[in-house]
Amino acid sequence: MILLVLLIVPLAASPLAFFLRRRRMLEVVNLAAFAILVGLAAVLVDQVLRGGPVSMWDGFFYADALSALVVLLSAFVSFVCSIYAVGYFRHEERSRVLQEAEKVGGRFAVDKLREYYALMPLLVFAMMLVALANNLGILWVAVEGTTLASVFLVMFYGRETSLEAAWKYAIIGSVGLSLALFGTILTYYSAYGALGTDALAGLNWSVLAKNAAQFDKPTMRLAFILILLGYGTKAGIAPMHTWKPEAYSEAPIPGAAMLATGVLNCALYGLVRFYILSSKCLGPQFGARLLILFGLLSMGVAVPFILVQKNFRRLLAYSSIDHSGIMVLALGFGGPLGILGMFLHMTFHSVTKPLLFFCAGNVQQHLNTDLFRKAKGGLIHSMPLTGAAFLMVTLAVTGSPPFSFFQSEFTILRAGFSGGHFVLAVFFVSFLMLVFSGFLVHITGLVLGENPGLPRAGVCGWKKYSVAGLAVVVVVMGFWIPAPLFRLIQGAVGIVVGGG
Amino acid sequence: MPFAPNPELGNRIITLMAALVLVLQIAAVGQRRIVSSIRIFAVQSFLLGSIAAVIAYFNQASHIYIAALLTVFLKAGLLPRLLERLVERIGIRREIDPLINVPLSILIAGCLTLLGYVVAESFYHPEETSARAALGHNTLAVAIALFLIGFFTMVNRRKALTQVLGLLSLENGLFLAAISLTYGMPLVVEIGIFFDVLVAVMVLGILVFRIGETFDSMDVSKLRKLRE
Repeated sequence: MILLVLLIVPLAASPLAFFLRRRRMLEVVNLAAFAILVGLAAVLVDQVLRGGPVSMWDGFFYADALSALVVLLSAFVSFVCSIYAVGYFRHEERSRVLQEAEKVGGRFAVDKLREYYALMPLLVFAMMLVALANNLGILWVAVEGTTLASVFLVMFYGRETSLEAAWKYAIIGSVGLSLALFGTILTYYSAYGALGTDALAGLNWSVLAKNAAQFDKPTMRLAFILILLGYGTKAGIAPMHTWKPEAYSEAPIPGAAMLATGVLNCALYGLVRFYILSSKCLGPQFGARLLILFGLLSMGVAVPFILVQKNFRRLLAYSSIDHSGIMVLALGFGGPLGILGMFLHMTFHSVTKPLLFFCAGNVQQHLNTDLFRKAKGGLIHSMPLTGAAFLMVTLAVTGSPPFSFFQSEFTILRAGFSGGHFVLAVFFVSFLMLVFSGFLVHITGLVLGENPGLPRAGVCGWKKYSVAGLAVVVVVMGFWIPAPLFRLIQGAVGIVVGGG
Repeated sequence: MPFAPNPELGNRIITLMAALVLVLQIAAVGQRRIVSSIRIFAVQSFLLGSIAAVIAYFNQASHIYIAALLTVFLKAGLLPRLLERLVERIGIRREIDPLINVPLSILIAGCLTLLGYVVAESFYHPEETSARAALGHNTLAVAIALFLIGFFTMVNRRKALTQVLGLLSLENGLFLAAISLTYGMPLVVEIGIFFDVLVAVMVLGILVFRIGETFDSMDVSKLRKLRE
């Protein structure tokens, strides 16, 4: 029952936005829907921790610890983003950006807002469906759904550059996902011989996972490669990452934060589900090598772009490529440690990354630019809270202690060493160091220093409190993970390592 | 049942139709006019729908009939009409100019077909002599070839609309693979995929329209504003 409610809440919030005339009502509906969603996700987590997997309609919907983790993170991210969105869009409206977008799009500012507030719940619905669908075909449909719902977020401002970014995003995303669909079809085929059923259950993950050892091996091998390429495109791992910098720098900040965390988690979730099948069928070695290759490649590709970046929105996108590379690498290292590192990283990433985006958004709205060249430092004086939070989250996101990423990256490093990947571990550490130095140079240049010409910013409460609140969460997470959350992460690790 | 359908005959019909689908795909590579590319796509989709219907008939798998109907209705009817209207709305005068000239493109398409057969070979289990295995073998090769050629079309053509067509024919390859390998995915999944394809074409269509308005051209190579 809880599974159905989790899907219905965002799905109902979306058409509701079309009937609302006033901006305030739109905001209230969004906030309320996502607040309820966080509560429901907590209930689901509780049920899963108490009684194991929850399923519905003969296992059409299915939630184990892994799905519950993704549901919880998605709900959290969407709630935080909806709080920030209120302040962000009010500022956009005041500074007449929306009116300009309206001129391009031929619509009124409130219609533009309605577009955002209707599409966001739809995106969240697709994300929930990704996590809750047991059927791998439905999983694919939902991942494609996240792409379709977010294309309009990328072209929100209607500028030439946004159209270009949206086109790239839609085409690369669709082609990538067609590879994933091919992979899904081949998985079904490789299971067909073993299960001999063409009923709906033949594509259910919980059924497939039990019988994965008898699958046709050559087919499964090709299927996993296609899945890795397909969902890898959606997760933005190199060399299929090219849509990311454009899409992240064109979408409105709350939308970009959703893409960078929630949608990324969904893509990785799909990959993990297939990784479990492939490691049961082919042994963990086969997938591991490919995952390590792509993970390290993404980190390596992100490094030079982070070092010489001129634009801080794009900097965030490359950081996201770097982080998805880290998570894929962790999955490749495998073993209980590697997987634990991956899920810890996913959790911390979903908490920390939105804060980074919000800080960048505040700075961009204050300076009216996203170029380092035009921003001449001194932000710590003109916007003390955002400046301080920006510095802090920079340290956090590059994995310096005492913040939480240090723990997850250290765990991944240990997994690498215990797996005997010494050379790779050296690469891993040096990439992390380079990203750290690149980030620090750019962000300190932006935030610190004296710039007397810069007026003091009036940051509204919504923006201020979402940044401050999230900053507190990030600091606390560095020292203390709530026990149920850690049990949930351990449960997810158990599913990947031990098999559902 | 008045007479048992002869599976041997079914296989022959399906192989023949799959071959026609492949020929159409290669013909689309050589095509210079957008409207005729759209019509070729419509005919190809109609053939695919018929293949699905034939498979459904000879294997008494009634749920494939629905997939066949959906294919004919959506891919052979609705989508081509939408795309043609889009072409009229934007008023494309300039026709397709591919990166690689037509004879070479067709040659490459031929090579990709060969590659499709090589890849399909690895799925062939000679010890399985059932009709299904033999059927899967031939049509899978065609499906992979369709997929690869669709991919090639997307790279080769710079007009936004032809890239959408490339994506659709790539999707057709996937549909063929699904019905020939496993007699289709479960129905719910199949409907979900159709829905996604429909929405994707609409989203891309809106994008094509906006790009055409804003840039006065559908040439994707003009999209070069965003750089490092």
